[in-house]
Order: sequence, then structure tokens, then C-alpha cells
Amino acid sequence: MKGVFLKDLYITKSNLLVVVGNLVVLGFGVSFLFDPGAILVLAPAAAVTPVFISIAGDASSKWNKNALTMPLSRGQLVGEKYLLYGLLAALGPLAALLPCGALALAGRPVSPQSLWLYGALGLSAALLSGGISLPFAYCMDPEKSQIVFMLSFLVSTGIIAALVVLINQLIPVKTHLVPAFLAVLAVSLLCFLGSCRVAIEVYRKRDVT
Amino acid sequence: MNHALTVSGLTKTYPDFVLDGVSLCVPSGSIVGLIGENGAGKSTTLHAALGLIRRDAGQVFLLGRDAMDNAVREQLGVVFDGDNYPESLSPAKIGRVLKHIYRTWDDSAYSSLLRQFSLPVDKPLRQFSKGMRMKLALSAALAHHPKLLILDEATSGLDPIVRDDLLDMLLDFVQDEAHSVLVSSHITSDLEKIADYIVFLHEGRVVFSKAKDELTERYGILKCGTAQFDALEREDWIAYREMEYERQVLVPDRDRARRKYPKAMVVPATIDEIMLLYVKGETQ
Repeated sequence: MKGVFLKDLYITKSNLLVVVGNLVVLGFGVSFLFDPGAILVLAPAAAVTPVFISIAGDASSKWNKNALTMPLSRGQLVGEKYLLYGLLAALGPLAALLPCGALALAGRPVSPQSLWLYGALGLSAALLSGGISLPFAYCMDPEKSQIVFMLSFLVSTGIIAALVVLINQLIPVKTHLVPAFLAVLAVSLLCFLGSCRVAIEVYRKRDVT
Repeated sequence: MNHALTVSGLTKTYPDFVLDGVSLCVPSGSIVGLIGENGAGKSTTLHAALGLIRRDAGQVFLLGRDAMDNAVREQLGVVFDGDNYPESLSPAKIGRVLKHIYRTWDDSAYSSLLRQFSLPVDKPLRQFSKGMRMKLALSAALAHHPKLLILDEATSGLDPIVRDDLLDMLLDFVQDEAHSVLVSSHITSDLEKIADYIVFLHEGRVVFSKAKDELTERYGILKCGTAQFDALEREDWIAYREMEYERQVLVPDRDRARRKYPKAMVVPATIDEIMLLYVKGETQ
């Protein structure tokens, strides 16, 4: 899997630099309108787009077909994309913390609670939408799977709202914001891991030509 | 005789195409050419043999094993027509990637092959011509010392000089008796130069699977008029084509045809002509 991961790092490197640059600039911009930590909601979603570019690129360059003749299993190929997605989803908030840190040093109020809250919310949305859309990337053409990726953010927002309502039955969310959204994040992570198993099964049954 | 690849009764059904019970084998130390017109089922056969598509029926033994596991893949080199690697990567980066995939990857062999083909190491593939990309794919396929090399239409669209370079490389490869090559192509002249056996596919079926020397040294084209044709015994010919002034008749044994029909002109048949007569010729 190390070789495939290295290949994706080579390919996503230039996209990643653009994403990180955008997040830093956007972070400063957003801080004039909202809480500086609000950029953490967008950061994971923005950071994972290179994964879809990489999946589409693998199909168009016939790398998929070639890789399946190498000592690599279909599970490893799919698992690597999920690993990359997870790492980029985590890297996005880290990049977005740079403007937050700079603004805090400049004297703008940045509360750790809002960072946890927005971070957990952004990561949950990214993991849920990845969990929904990644299996489709292995059974649909690249254009359709991009549409599924965009729609999946709408669906994941609905799922998060439903989870918050459900958690509110157990603990009052208004007074326990951070633990409630960390619980949402934990559920999202489980869904993401479950989705990985589904995508591997989908890809195992798929003819690759 | 040991076989690097044995395919038997391979069947795959699509809505508009059926690969119908294809059987072939690649003896160790030989080059087998898989020929057939576009859409005959060559790529489908290779894809099914490599486990890229699920087969409906049939068995595949690759390097003595019936499962396409990592041990088999480690000894397999594959080159597909067109792109094989992402075009933003350079040969150097591809080398670093493959080094972490193949346990038997040989950096010095890879560098030596790149030098031999005069390929730039640090240029991205998007700046490569089709011939250069194919040379790179072959270098990458050979650099982990495979025992079986499978090439799917790897020479199509290449100029004669690049094709000749690739064919020389394949001939070098099979100098080791443990090495074998299965190459699909519709450029039969390439296979006439290098193949030991020819498998001819037509409409998803194997029409024949023969030693190349048997085809080029025994098969012939008998040229005759209608009256002469009517005098031929049915067992002496395979198919014929009506031309403007003559009939061209494919005969399986040209020496026998010369002896039996001394007034007819019998010339050697190329693989192209044999394929053409099998596909477009009349048999009744």
C-alpha cells in the first residue's frame, strides 16, 4: 500500500498546496465576518477534494487496471483512498488553525470551545459525505460520482441534524455542545469505516477494463 | 511441457458479445501471439485471464497456480495499450512508486532500461510521445524480473522503428527459457517476426492455435479459376475468396497442393492472408 500512497501523494501534492493556501486566505477572510474558528467547518470538505480527483485520474490513466496486475489487492487500493481521505480531512482543520492562531496572537478572541465545536462539525460532515460518496466513486463514472460527492454534503448535514436531535434525548445539547458534537464525530467515523468495507466489496465485484 | 499460462473454456457473456469457451496456452520459454480483428475478444481474454473481469466459466492457471494471488502478480509483467501510468508522474517517480509495490523491484535494471530506450528520467509522462510511454511501460514491466510478460495491443499505433525496438526487447526477454510472452496484436507482421505460436480469435472463439512455423511453412494460397476450383477436393482447402480474375484458396498444405494440382499456382500465405481468408472467405 505504501507505493500506491506515494503515487497519490505525488499526484495530490500540487492540489494540496492550493487547498492549504486557499484555507489560510479564506480563514483570514471569514474571521472578519464570523468567529475565526468557523473556517474549521469548511476546511475538511475543502481538503478532501484531491481524493476524488485522484480516483477520477486513476480511472482515466488506466492506473486502476495496471495496478490490479501488480501485487496489490482490490482491498488495498480502496483502503488507501479511504486512508488518504481521512488524512486530508484531518489535515484541512490543521491548515485552518494557522489563520486562527495568527488571529489569536493578534488579539482576536478565539475560544477553544468554538474550535472543538467547529472542528468536530466539519470533520463529521466530511467523514459522513466521504462515507456516502466514496463507494459510488467505484461503481459510477467520474462525472456522476462528483455529483454524488456534492449531494452527499446535503445528506450528511441532515444526518448530523438527526444525530443531534437523538443525542438531545440523552443529554441536553445546548449545555453540552462539545461532548455532543464529539459523539456525532465518533458516529461519523464508524460510518466512514463501514463505508470502506462496502466500497471494497463493491470494487471486488466490479469488472475493471 | 511446462506452461506459463493455461486458459481453458474461458467464457464471458456481454449483452452484445460472447467470449465462447476460449482455450489457449503459453508454453514456458515461448512467445505466443494472440491475433484477431478488432472486437474479436483478444482484450477480453487477457482481462479475464488477469482477473480484471469476472469470468462466467472456465479455468485459468497462471505460472502453475489457479489463483491470481500476489505471488503470481510478483512474477507477472503487463503492458496495456495506451496509458499505463498517471501522466503527471515522471519515470523517476514511477520507479520510486513501483519499488514499494514489487519486492523484486530492481532499480539498476530499471535505470538501465530507461537509458537503453533513451527515456528522460525527470520529465512527466504528459510530455512523452506514445512510443516513449510504451517503452516506459515495458521498462517498468521488466524491471521486477517477471517470468511472464503479457502485452495487450502494445505495439498498435507505434511507428515501425519503435515497434522494432520493442520486438527486439521481447526476443531478448525469452532468451531465458523460464520467460514467456503472450502478446495480443492485430499487426500480424510483428508476430510473424517474433511469435512461436499463433492463436487466432474470431468473434469470441478460437479459430486455430498453431505453431507459427506450421502456418508460414505449410499454409499456402492456391490461385485458380472457377473450373480449376471446382476440381479441387473439399478436404484440400479451408476457405476461398472470389477476386476479380481468380479465386484465392487457402490450403493447409501447400506442398501437397502443388503436387496434387500442378497446373495451379500455389504461393506461401502470410498470417494476414490466413486471417483474412478465415474471416472473410467462403467455406461452402
